Amino acid sequence: MIIFVLNCGSSSVKYKLYDMRDESVMAEGKVERVGQDNAVITHQSTGKEEVSKTMPILEHTTAIRECLNLLTDPEHGSIKSVDEIDAVGHRVVHGGESFSDSVLINERTKEILESLSDLAPLHNPANLMGIRAAEKIMPKTPQVAVFDTAFHSTIPPHAFLYAIPYTVYQRHKVRRYGFHGTSHKYVSQRTAELMGKNIEDLKIITCHLGNGASIAAVQGGKSVDTSMGFTPLEGLMMGTRSGDIDPGAIFYIMKKEELNLHEIDSMLNKHSGLYGIAGVSDMRDIEKGIAEDDRLCKVAFDIFINRILKYVGAYTASMNGVDAIVFTAGIGENTPSVRDAVCRNLEYLGVKIDPELNNRRGEDLEISTPDSKVKVFVVGTDEEVVIARDTVALL
Amino acid sequence: MEIRRIAVLGAGRLGRGIAECAASKGYDVVLFSQGAGGQDALRRIEKSLDRKLAKWAITESEKRLILGRISYTLDLKELANVDLLIEATIDHFYTKKELLRTADHLCRPEVVFISTTSTLLVSELARSITRNDQLVGLHFIPPVPDVPVAELVVPESASPEAVEVAKNFAQRLDKKVLHIHESAGLVNPRALITLVNEAAYMIDEGVCDAAAAELIIKESWGMSQGPLEMADRLGLDLILSWMEQLQEKLGDRYAPCPLIRRYVRQKRLGVKTRLGFFAYTEDDAVVSLEEGEKEEFEE
Repeated sequence: MIIFVLNCGSSSVKYKLYDMRDESVMAEGKVERVGQDNAVITHQSTGKEEVSKTMPILEHTTAIRECLNLLTDPEHGSIKSVDEIDAVGHRVVHGGESFSDSVLINERTKEILESLSDLAPLHNPANLMGIRAAEKIMPKTPQVAVFDTAFHSTIPPHAFLYAIPYTVYQRHKVRRYGFHGTSHKYVSQRTAELMGKNIEDLKIITCHLGNGASIAAVQGGKSVDTSMGFTPLEGLMMGTRSGDIDPGAIFYIMKKEELNLHEIDSMLNKHSGLYGIAGVSDMRDIEKGIAEDDRLCKVAFDIFINRILKYVGAYTASMNGVDAIVFTAGIGENTPSVRDAVCRNLEYLGVKIDPELNNRRGEDLEISTPDSKVKVFVVGTDEEVVIARDTVALL
Repeated sequence: MEIRRIAVLGAGRLGRGIAECAASKGYDVVLFSQGAGGQDALRRIEKSLDRKLAKWAITESEKRLILGRISYTLDLKELANVDLLIEATIDHFYTKKELLRTADHLCRPEVVFISTTSTLLVSELARSITRNDQLVGLHFIPPVPDVPVAELVVPESASPEAVEVAKNFAQRLDKKVLHIHESAGLVNPRALITLVNEAAYMIDEGVCDAAAAELIIKESWGMSQGPLEMADRLGLDLILSWMEQLQEKLGDRYAPCPLIRRYVRQKRLGVKTRLGFFAYTEDDAVVSLEEGEKEEFEE
């Protein structure tokens, strides 16, 4: 069975083609700068040379059509015809309260998705555009939506409700939704696999640390709490997002700096986090700054670590224990210094990591010592394979 | 036809605002203006973006991206390459008519024209061009990037398709489009000059000074900018000319207060001369001056 996984952003399309007999990647690629005259497509079929071309691509339908042209290209492609694709799996950011699991897309699903655009104005409309475009090109191929929020739909009310007037939740569905769900799901399952244990019996804390970052408490294979909330702004310190901040401070800043809603929103989402403190948003630049004795890079790093520690502590408490802590995504997988700084402060839980294992790269592995009471893992996240699996499951 | 490249005729406050707003929504914008106006407009747009950057509303890379989408030219022949034309020149009937006629020859036949006029009748302008079914009135209100409404005027000659194009354009700029009947002064300018005129009378009669009138009006109706500052930013000469045009078309209730005439005569035109109802710094910020100091400023 061949599954085409699509992740459409407002100006980008990323894709992977899977042969689901062995979950092998047949091809992958992306289109950047969709909507412009100089859009760039990069494509690589497994075992073949990478191809890249620049051309005008004004909308998503053309972008997806170009991807499919490359996939079926005799020289660079990996299938003969688009008909070989059995289904398309779409990444959709927000499923609201309507979708607690992946779904087969039909008219009704699209209507609901449309109504959810308010909750994720930057992402859902683009995801929906991708769905419409794929349907137009492959009208007979089943399409599946896999939601970033779905894995967190098991979070109980005491963790998803904010302590504000209940009517606000009833009227506007303001609550914690959480994001990166597909990633938290994948890495928690993979960790159980690496531990050789049944996930039902495990309490796992998954740290998805990328440019956007969130932590989830996964008990018995189900998400019971997560650091991102109503929007991806809550929780950890991120590349350019503030994470947790006293709402009272926001009102004060708005008044003092005479900011409107758009300005404060943009300040907290695009000018804060590592960038807000240190002027750089990439953890590699922060590390470089620290090596050069940059005081603000050091503070930024320390805030970043402190936030993680607070959440690990909180989730250990709310699950009444923890069996494993997992690091994943850009920073989680590639920055030993972050893992080291976090784990050194978790001695009270009996966490011990092996420095040599911690410095290894590029494989899923346990980095804790055999006598560590809590196991620590580094797992490469793979959201696309979860989307492909969910798609197959719905056919 | 997909609209990607738009022409903005006129690089005044309205034209610049439309250009900035359209570029920030992803359109490629060509500003047409006379003399060194284009270069100056680009500088002012950059200044406006810098103010947004200072308020964290955009990022440095967003600023570069927006500026990169705006170019300017003196050469009207470049109109042959645009997908939509927005006319934002000064409200002078014959100037506008001539410009629209020239554009009519140069633009591709399917290109829709939008006029931002507030005191002239769009249907009269439409009569001067061959594509009269493709001219629609759309009045943006400065500061264009910040004001979320636009007034749509549909002359009888306009085709539904052209109206759709204008509406879609305004909506993509995040403006709520309100369809109003064709009438000189539209809604915003007409209401504004009434408010400004009344405030001027109160000042002239010694009921209160400009600062008090401004603050009371602004705070009672929760405005982010009071009418007198708005008038200063638009230019008191422009306000006076609107009043005179409306007086001619709609009657004496728009007759300008003598104080406004006096200010214009004294070249006290608002932000552009650093003094109007209020005084302004080089960066266009309001200076709060006591009445006495203001008199000194005048001399």
